[in-house]
Amino acid sequence: MRMTRIFKALAVSLFVLMLVGCAAQPPAPVETRSEPQPGVEELVRAPAADEARGLQVFPLRNPAVAELSEAARQAESEGDLDRAAVLLERALRIQARDPELLQQLAEVHLARGAYEQADSYASRSFDQGPRVGEICQRNWRTMALARERMNQPEAARLARERLEQCQVTPPPRL
Amino acid sequence: MSRRRKRLKRRERPVRASLAAVSLRLALFFFGLAAGLLGPWIWWLDREAGLRFAERQWSQASRVYARALELHPGRPLHVEDLEQELIASGLRRGDPRRVGAYSVAGSRFDIHPPGFAHPDGVEPARRVLVVLSDGRLASLSDAAGQALGLVRLPPAELGSLLPLDDRDRTLVALADFPPLLVTGVQAVEDRQFKHHHGLDPRGMLRAAWSNLRYRRVVQGGSTITQQLVKNLFLTPDRSLVRKFNEGVMALSLERRFGKAEILEAYLNEVYLGQDGRHAIHGFGRASEYYFGLPVQALAPDQVALLVGMVRGASWYNPVRNPERALARRNRVLDMFLETGLIDQASHRSAVESALGIERGHGQRVRRHWAFLDLVQRQLRRDYRERDLRGAGLRIFTTLDPVAQLHAERALAEQLPRVESEPGSLQGAIVLIDPAGGEVRAVVGDRLAGRAGFNRALDARRPVGSVIKPFVYLLALADSERFSLVTPLADEPISIPQPGGEPWQPRNIDGRSHGQVPLMTALANSYNQASVRLGLEVGAQALLDLLAQLGVRPDSEPHPAIFLGAMELTPLQVAQLYQPLAAEGYSTPLRAISAVQDDSGREIGRYPPRLRPIRQRQALALLDYALQVAVEEGTGRRLAGLLSQPIAVSGKTGTTNERRDAWFVGYTRDWLGVVWTGRDDNRPASIGGASTAVPVWADLFSRLPVQNTGRTWPEGVGWYWIDWPHPTLATGDCPAARAVPFIEGSQPATLSDCIQ
Repeated sequence: MRMTRIFKALAVSLFVLMLVGCAAQPPAPVETRSEPQPGVEELVRAPAADEARGLQVFPLRNPAVAELSEAARQAESEGDLDRAAVLLERALRIQARDPELLQQLAEVHLARGAYEQADSYASRSFDQGPRVGEICQRNWRTMALARERMNQPEAARLARERLEQCQVTPPPRL
Repeated sequence: MSRRRKRLKRRERPVRASLAAVSLRLALFFFGLAAGLLGPWIWWLDREAGLRFAERQWSQASRVYARALELHPGRPLHVEDLEQELIASGLRRGDPRRVGAYSVAGSRFDIHPPGFAHPDGVEPARRVLVVLSDGRLASLSDAAGQALGLVRLPPAELGSLLPLDDRDRTLVALADFPPLLVTGVQAVEDRQFKHHHGLDPRGMLRAAWSNLRYRRVVQGGSTITQQLVKNLFLTPDRSLVRKFNEGVMALSLERRFGKAEILEAYLNEVYLGQDGRHAIHGFGRASEYYFGLPVQALAPDQVALLVGMVRGASWYNPVRNPERALARRNRVLDMFLETGLIDQASHRSAVESALGIERGHGQRVRRHWAFLDLVQRQLRRDYRERDLRGAGLRIFTTLDPVAQLHAERALAEQLPRVESEPGSLQGAIVLIDPAGGEVRAVVGDRLAGRAGFNRALDARRPVGSVIKPFVYLLALADSERFSLVTPLADEPISIPQPGGEPWQPRNIDGRSHGQVPLMTALANSYNQASVRLGLEVGAQALLDLLAQLGVRPDSEPHPAIFLGAMELTPLQVAQLYQPLAAEGYSTPLRAISAVQDDSGREIGRYPPRLRPIRQRQALALLDYALQVAVEEGTGRRLAGLLSQPIAVSGKTGTTNERRDAWFVGYTRDWLGVVWTGRDDNRPASIGGASTAVPVWADLFSRLPVQNTGRTWPEGVGWYWIDWPHPTLATGDCPAARAVPFIEGSQPATLSDCIQ
């Protein structure tokens, strides 16, 4: 169990690292509206101003945040969801944009029936996260479930659709 | 009637009695009278004392706390800021072996914070070593050198909501008082407390003897129980009747209640000084007031000082009469030694220590009035006034005491430099943490200590160009029609007005700039282009967007609102900009994080409530444009004023005839709104860039800022543009500029520069 977890984590990090590598490459041709010239689309695409778009990696987790996140997990397993939420909010005060924390809080909100907040936090985690792989799936699954509980079938369906794309390897960019 | 009286006279007349018989009768009469009156009197006193003591309800002030500082490795933190933070939390420089003290050597701190029950758990008292380096917390360890991940300081106390009787008290259970205090009080005030039944005849005789000898009252023979009775039930006058009542009630309390209960009441009731018009009652509050420490953390000399003050809290007041207080403290320490409560060594070190009184307590309360004003308003939404006062609530707020200090200084120091006439300008600052919507600092007056008109919350002023980003946000959200490079016409425009002259907005430089990219029109704050764009998106749509973001201005949907002809407070402006700095997730601004009742139970919690803004992609483009506005547009003065290179997005605002100057700027972790202007609303020859930007820059030069990059939302891509033409270029083109687009909204035509 533990081994598979570690393996999963390794696989995800490797995958993300590969993507970071890919991002440095020129982007792929996409459908254009003007007269299509081969190779032009990749030329006109500029790299994002600050960092690779959507491919932020958080390899080094702040130990303080890790401590709080673990305590929240503990509280959650003891069924004290309110305390778990408080601990995660405290951790988010330290690292406001950590996608893992945001998703953890989304899941706690889902469990305690705060569906609107579950939806919002999962969405924020997706925006801040890698948008592929395991956390992406958790993001959209949470949004889908929260929306179903809020009786928003259409929005839930969109989330389920988007969930499918998390597993898909992003478009080849070579 | 008269007949009856006559009959009585007739019957008395024949009585002839001897002198002895008269005396006997008189004696009997007085005995009867005494028994008849005194009996019920004593019975009544006894009953009253019992009832009133059993039903006593201590009112306890509600306390307001700042946010607690989290110490963890990697945290941006300057040496001076950490020291400020420690002082605000009630710690003092000293020997860190003592709770409540810290020492500094260069950038190494040795801190011994007292324990504190935070809303989500208790942080125990423990010694921590903190090393700062390059403006960051480099290492954190305990006294044994073991690395620590996270330590929380006790929060600074900002103020109190006092009960209506103006008695300031922090209740402490008997078991929570330090043993030295409990036994020390008895050693000094009433050595027979354990054994007597409310009165101590030997003590009274001794006191009476010395009073007789010196022909004045030099010693009180009152027991602790008598003193408690006097404090609780009686007036402070010295009369025989009062003394009698006191004795009876003391005996009554002892008969009905245990020693522990009486002692606990005494320790929480005894009068220990005055904080302005508030009376300090009990050792719990006295310890916080004089030493900034919970009573549990007091050292022997501090215990002795407070115990000594019982005899006369103003006579032995350590702030006003330090020498007298010191002598009294040492006398008490001698008594502690005589009775074996402390040993020779601790007596010696205690006698040698200074009084160590923390000063400026009252000033601290006044300094945060603007923020506390906001706290009170948010509290009144959820609680009744009488439930707040005297209920012993603990109110945890979001204030950052050091950031508050920086904000106050920035305004106080920069306004004199930018105003044409000394003292004519006023200002306000609101500083928030955008991700969680927590308010970190509020300044409502250029003199931070002057409590009065709270401009940050109550000054409704025209916002000018500060509103423009929201016009552009609406346009960018319509990505089929608008992108950052869409050409806008900055040309004269005339809008007919019913029954009046047509409205003809002009640019601040008086010129029109022709066709300009949308991003440039925003960055340079061109009025004519902005009004034209506003007419495309609609005035009602703008008001709807503001309402969606939590602000409802009292304005008609007239085109003038595109140029900010609407009055908002600095706090409302902060609310509007919050989602811009938080990647499109809005949350109501909060000054309170949690409220606990007097037993530590949480009765209110105020977590951030995130709501994704629909136009998140457009908002990302806007965020970029506002960064350009600071780098190349109206905010370009900023870079030269900042002490550190930080990525800032922001917008200036200047209103008609230069009455108001605004600057709203944000990084990833701070958002600051600065307003300056005159209270009488007269033209002040000020401008956003020239007046508000320097204040903002001063503040952000002092704040610990992290330069973290933005994550761009899904569906936003970057393209090379042949600037300023709306055509695609490549990185090799001479005028190439990378610009973000909502995918699909990038120009379709290629520039001629592409070979």
